[in-house]
Amino acid sequence: MFEALWDNRDYVAAVVLFCIGLYVIIAKDNLIKKLLGLNIMETAVFAFIVTVGVVDGGEPPILGPGATPPYASPLPHALVLTGIVVAVSTTALALSLIIRIHRQCGTIEADELREME
Amino acid sequence: MSVVFDIVLLLFLIGTALTVARTKNLVAAVVIFSSYGLGMCLLWLHRGAPDVAMTEAAVGAGITTVLFLVTIGKTARREK
Amino acid sequence: MKKAATAALLIVTAIPMLIGVAALPRHGDPQAPVHTGVSARYLEGGAAEGGTPNIVANILLNYRGLDTAGEVIVIFTALVAGLAALLTAPPLFTRARRMPPAARAASAPPVSPVVGFVVRLLAPFIALFAIYIIVHGHASPGGGFQGGAILGGLFVVLTIVLGEERALTLMPRAAAPWMQAAAVIAFVAVGVIGAALTGYFLGFPVETMHLAAKLMMIALEAGIGLGGAAIFATLFLEMETA
Repeated sequence: MFEALWDNRDYVAAVVLFCIGLYVIIAKDNLIKKLLGLNIMETAVFAFIVTVGVVDGGEPPILGPGATPPYASPLPHALVLTGIVVAVSTTALALSLIIRIHRQCGTIEADELREME
Repeated sequence: MSVVFDIVLLLFLIGTALTVARTKNLVAAVVIFSSYGLGMCLLWLHRGAPDVAMTEAAVGAGITTVLFLVTIGKTARREK
Repeated sequence: MKKAATAALLIVTAIPMLIGVAALPRHGDPQAPVHTGVSARYLEGGAAEGGTPNIVANILLNYRGLDTAGEVIVIFTALVAGLAALLTAPPLFTRARRMPPAARAASAPPVSPVVGFVVRLLAPFIALFAIYIIVHGHASPGGGFQGGAILGGLFVVLTIVLGEERALTLMPRAAAPWMQAAAVIAFVAVGVIGAALTGYFLGFPVETMHLAAKLMMIALEAGIGLGGAAIFATLFLEMETA
């Protein structure tokens, strides 16, 4: 078990980062801080997916003169590229909503917003 | 793949993420988050994914940081 | 109480994930399913079928072109929703009104001369690099999104250094909506052209008309880059002036 975890240390780091992000989302009240936690969680998931595609001695999946197999698997890379761009759009939308919340309620702390209801 | 580089990089990522979680000053937290993004970009470059690393450097560490900083300037600089 | 509950939740989340991670194939194993499934097919046939050496760009634009079309629609929708959140409803708490650009420029803090000089000096090179990444993305690392993000970042620093009015000459009011929708328009146009040439929406005639397929791919990348840059720049400007 521990040997397997050591071999898959990239995945373990991704799990740890995911949990840190989850902790920030649950424990912090500031909406911007929560959004930072969400971004950490997202990058942790992307890191997991990208590192799944690694192969021993692998090169980037860009064929051409001078490139030799084995290549890292290109499919996770394509999925993560899409994911990063969608993540930044959701972040931008969430930030716009935070500005709007601040304008209408005067605060961006979740507990104060809850009391306001 | 050198094990030492791996370990240093992964510890750097976890350390920056923990610092983001602990910092009360939001501007500092966002700047540290940007360096976390650059560390992630380095990891992906090392894992044979230059396309993804480039996207993370431009989008994750660049645009996201700018949008966060603008929002902080419009709202509050410190967490209560 | 809340802290204990949070810690318990984190442990309950982490332990199954760690057990699952330990049971995965060894990191870097060439026999793992991710290397033997559809990826092997992409690596083998991608260069001939897609006509591009960069297999990632190939998957994004060719094999999974519809996914990418959905993705650019997601960014565009995020822009629309963000503008809806920022531009509607009067401010209740903050007194700030939308100042005219000249008044805002006068009230903005001055930029350090070092920053101003470096940005002015580097701006053409950054723009050239972004365009290279967009146009050459099918053959080397890079592509529309990366180049678009760099162009958007360039617009942001130019806005800070030169002021909003001069930066906005890069994105004139009349052209702005078309630039924001450039990615969606490029996908629809290239999709229809592909349908006319091959019979499939977003089909690339790689075997029969190699040059046309390459031009279509570059048009897609350029549309994504321009659209992404315009969307990021607009979001920045609207958040800044909100």
